[in-house]
Amino acid sequence: MSDVSKRSTLIMISPAVVLIGTFIFVPMTLTIWLSFHQWSTQTSFSDARFIGLRNYEDLFSSLSAGRDFRIAFVNTAIYTALSIAVILPLSVMLGLLVHQTRIAGGQALRTVLFSTYMVPMIAVALVWSKLYSPSEGPINQMLSWVGIGPQPWLSSPNSALVSIVILNVWQQIGYFTVLAIAGLTQIPTSLYEAAKIDGANPLQEFFGVTLPLLRRTLLFSTVVAIINAVQVFEPVALITQGGPANATNVLTYHIRRVGIERGQGGLGSSMAVMLMLSLIVVIVLIFALARDKGEAR
Amino acid sequence: MSALVEHRHRSGRTGFRLVNALLLLLIIIIAVIAAFPLLWMLLSSLKTPAESMQTPPVWFPATPTPNAYGQVAGVIDASRSFWNSAVIATTTTAGILVTSLMAGYAFAKYRFVGRNTLFAVLISTMFLPPIVTLIPLYRMVTAMELNASLIGIILPNLANAFGIFLMRQFIAGIPDDLIDAARVDGASELRIVFSIVAPSVVPAIAALALFAFVYHWNTYLWPLTILQGNTENYPIVLSLSRLLSYNRGALNTGLVMAGATMAVLPPLILFVFLQRFFVDSIVSAGVKG
Repeated sequence: MSDVSKRSTLIMISPAVVLIGTFIFVPMTLTIWLSFHQWSTQTSFSDARFIGLRNYEDLFSSLSAGRDFRIAFVNTAIYTALSIAVILPLSVMLGLLVHQTRIAGGQALRTVLFSTYMVPMIAVALVWSKLYSPSEGPINQMLSWVGIGPQPWLSSPNSALVSIVILNVWQQIGYFTVLAIAGLTQIPTSLYEAAKIDGANPLQEFFGVTLPLLRRTLLFSTVVAIINAVQVFEPVALITQGGPANATNVLTYHIRRVGIERGQGGLGSSMAVMLMLSLIVVIVLIFALARDKGEAR
Repeated sequence: MSALVEHRHRSGRTGFRLVNALLLLLIIIIAVIAAFPLLWMLLSSLKTPAESMQTPPVWFPATPTPNAYGQVAGVIDASRSFWNSAVIATTTTAGILVTSLMAGYAFAKYRFVGRNTLFAVLISTMFLPPIVTLIPLYRMVTAMELNASLIGIILPNLANAFGIFLMRQFIAGIPDDLIDAARVDGASELRIVFSIVAPSVVPAIAALALFAFVYHWNTYLWPLTILQGNTENYPIVLSLSRLLSYNRGALNTGLVMAGATMAVLPPLILFVFLQRFFVDSIVSAGVKG
């Protein structure tokens, strides 16, 4: 740690600060500013016309703009909740499986699981759209072997969103498994030995030692999973176009469609602000809950 | 007594073996499920159009044929797309490495007013989904007349919070004495960053480089938005979507799967050789963060 000249400090931090400032903080501020304006995306910012809260009123109104936004918002919330509900327990189970040292194969499993995280989402979407194909896809074929009838997957409003959750979990589970393993390696083995002496069975060991000590890891995983989940775009843009019957219309897709493709920059920005506010609320809540539990312990 | 001990010992070992065998079986089943979609992609790329259309599906092509790979080149300019992807991913990665090393060094080793606040503000952008800034960013880059160009894709991504965070974590571990010694020898601060600090954090640089490369090879939303249909500058992930729309239906399944296989290979190959760095950096970001 040293006191270097102001000039050195400026030289070191300005490339990153200028770039992040220009390409993240400036547009973020503009998003908020535009949300109070009527503005066509194809015109310059100076053409924006101040309309106060009208965009927000539209989002909560019975107009189609409001209905579509609320559907996209609810779909995104369901998608995020389902993703987390599957990813968290599954990543801990797989983490335990990889972490156990009784037999070789754990490391190989980690490699296979994590490799799917390297695959571009667009390729994931393309491949899964074929896997899900009702008549030519192998998933329904395999289901028929165990006596389950053909499922409509992406082509039914009831199952399309869940189908996208499944392919998302498949792509991301390796990343979260690695996080879980990192958390598991931090748990001192002495705690397990102490639990054994106290006569704890494996189940008590898991809920008494493993799970409480994974709290920080699970907190981090939850936040990352939320941020990742609201970004779902490729499978929707490429395969379902938000359908059938709006069932897979999610926020990233909807905001881009309204704000870029339809050129309603002001309205799209107000949706983006709503997304940002919701994320802040959810993440603050999660941290508050985690802290409460931590103090109660 | 000893017979009893012997018996218990034995049955304990058989129990142990049974559990191990079940665990191994479980690991194999999960690995197969995880790998299945990628295997299906590869197999489908080698099928004939007739095989792709059969119901129920054919798993293994009778005579694997690479024809689909040749057809890809007839629909999209595959080599141009690969070149675009390589340019985007490499340039962006280089930029991220330079800006992250410099800023990471300052945040780890300098004392200045507002340091922790500035760091927290920069890091907060890690949690901002790109869609929140997409609309104005699209307008800004268009106003700079960089839309439809590779520079327009690259420029906004030359610095990121994760890189700064990762570099600060690792540079903080370098002894101050090493840096002070270089200063006594009259080395400039920039020289210190690139010839003293950088060589000391090679694993972190490797991890960040791989992360950045794979992310920017795979990223779809921003190039799609800013290229506005200028297919000449499409990276491979965007060209894949053109393959899909080229001829909807089962006829083009082999074609799409061949294109997807090609697009997946560069990040997968990088990963197979360098997965240790990927994993280490995720672990350090998750645990220390």
